[in-house]
Amino acid sequence: MNDRQIERPDPSTVLTRRSFINKSLLKGGAGVAAAGFFPVINTMDFAYGQGAQSFRFAWVSDTHLYPKDVNTRFVDKAVRAFKEVQAMSPAADFMIFGGDLAQLGDPVEINLGAELLKEVKIKKYFIPGEHDWYLDMGALWNKSFGAAPWTFDHKGVRIIGLDTISYAEDFWTSRKYSPKERMGHMATLDGTLGGAWSAVGEKQMRWLSSTLANWGKDKPVLIFTHTPLYEYYPAWNFWVRDWKAVQELLAPYGNVTNVHGHVHQPLYNEIGKMRSIGMLATSWPWPYAPEGVPALTRPMVRADPGDHFDGVGWGSLSGGNRVEAEYKMWRKTVFATAEVDSGTGDNRNQVLFPRVVDRL
Amino acid sequence: MLFSNKLRYALATVAVAALVVLGIDVKQAVAHKDPHTADQLKAFEDVFMEQVKIGDALFHGDEKGRGTKLSRTGMACAMCHPFASDTHPHEFPKFQEQIGSFATLRDMINWCIEKPNEGEKLAADSDQMKALEAYIYWSNRNSKLDPGRH
Repeated sequence: MNDRQIERPDPSTVLTRRSFINKSLLKGGAGVAAAGFFPVINTMDFAYGQGAQSFRFAWVSDTHLYPKDVNTRFVDKAVRAFKEVQAMSPAADFMIFGGDLAQLGDPVEINLGAELLKEVKIKKYFIPGEHDWYLDMGALWNKSFGAAPWTFDHKGVRIIGLDTISYAEDFWTSRKYSPKERMGHMATLDGTLGGAWSAVGEKQMRWLSSTLANWGKDKPVLIFTHTPLYEYYPAWNFWVRDWKAVQELLAPYGNVTNVHGHVHQPLYNEIGKMRSIGMLATSWPWPYAPEGVPALTRPMVRADPGDHFDGVGWGSLSGGNRVEAEYKMWRKTVFATAEVDSGTGDNRNQVLFPRVVDRL
Repeated sequence: MLFSNKLRYALATVAVAALVVLGIDVKQAVAHKDPHTADQLKAFEDVFMEQVKIGDALFHGDEKGRGTKLSRTGMACAMCHPFASDTHPHEFPKFQEQIGSFATLRDMINWCIEKPNEGEKLAADSDQMKALEAYIYWSNRNSKLDPGRH
């Protein structure tokens, strides 16, 4: 065992995610409450022991909006999330939108998202998802929400948003794919034509290195990405292909937390001194991959496919001297208490094979 | 004496008749067990994989020319079941909680089409249903048979 293997994230960092019922929403939402769910708001509270102050912010991602004439279920859930974020009391310092606002990068979808996001009046920061990008190669996204990467310091924490989306190898030109076809392949999680599209890239890594150059090695860093900064079941593109180089770059820093979306499921991982936290989507839950779920992850409960408010929403992470995950969803307890109800234990006899075709 | 002579003759006649019938069947069975040629096996595989590919397309939302309407929400089966994961074909038939009755894989496919996807269910013996079933089974082909498990 080498030194890197026994390194753990700085125990002085306490990360909690809490949920609470907002009374003002309850008053106006009797119908919602009667339907069996409550306006749960979840936030992240960061408390750092090394000079930084505690603060709270909100995370929403993976809304996957379709045009309203296709379906409104994802719109309904995005609206709900944004209203709840805005109703937080005390208000969050800011909100991160973690990518995949749209389903197929359609301007109707992105513009719909921009309209819905007006509900959130607090400061918002954006990183893209692949569903936002590959119709027009990010043109409308960047115009609407600004380009990543970006950074700012907040209450003693260096906060960074990365673009892990725009680095796909060109598979479309030689095949003469239309923008819609390109987007369709990138939007297919178990597709193969997009290749290992997620990456930080050399140029962005140079930017990241220079951004951290004047930051103390023991000072807290919070990095937002759409995709997780480690290898998780490459066959479903649940990973960043140059994650090892990113880990090497971040290795000298003792207090790094990566928060990501994309996987639509609670995940928790530690690599060296960096921790990664996977967040719920508001749209739908992905199943856990058949292998490679980080051992430190506490799997969520099996969602009811007949209830599109189940398996989605927000989460809760709390810790003593280490980070512990405790998520809450809009419908029920997130974590299974028995293997039979677990999103991973449910698949104990399942053996999967990759597809032989993408499309006929 | 356990049987009378008359009854013994009758039993013997039935036994001979049964052997004749069995002999015919055995001959047919033997004929059916002629060694397969490589071309035959390839043809069988081709028939199956063609259905797997059609099922893959339907499962991933490509319904062009198939005469189906498997979803009205924009959602395709694969959006919750990449690689046909979490379909658990090896666990059917079983009591299916959402349906509230003892159900087959085809019943569950139709439930997903009608409920989450808000589409039009398939006839249980339709070509499209068989293709979906072929894709799901093929994708889960080494899973451990575990019928009835919830």
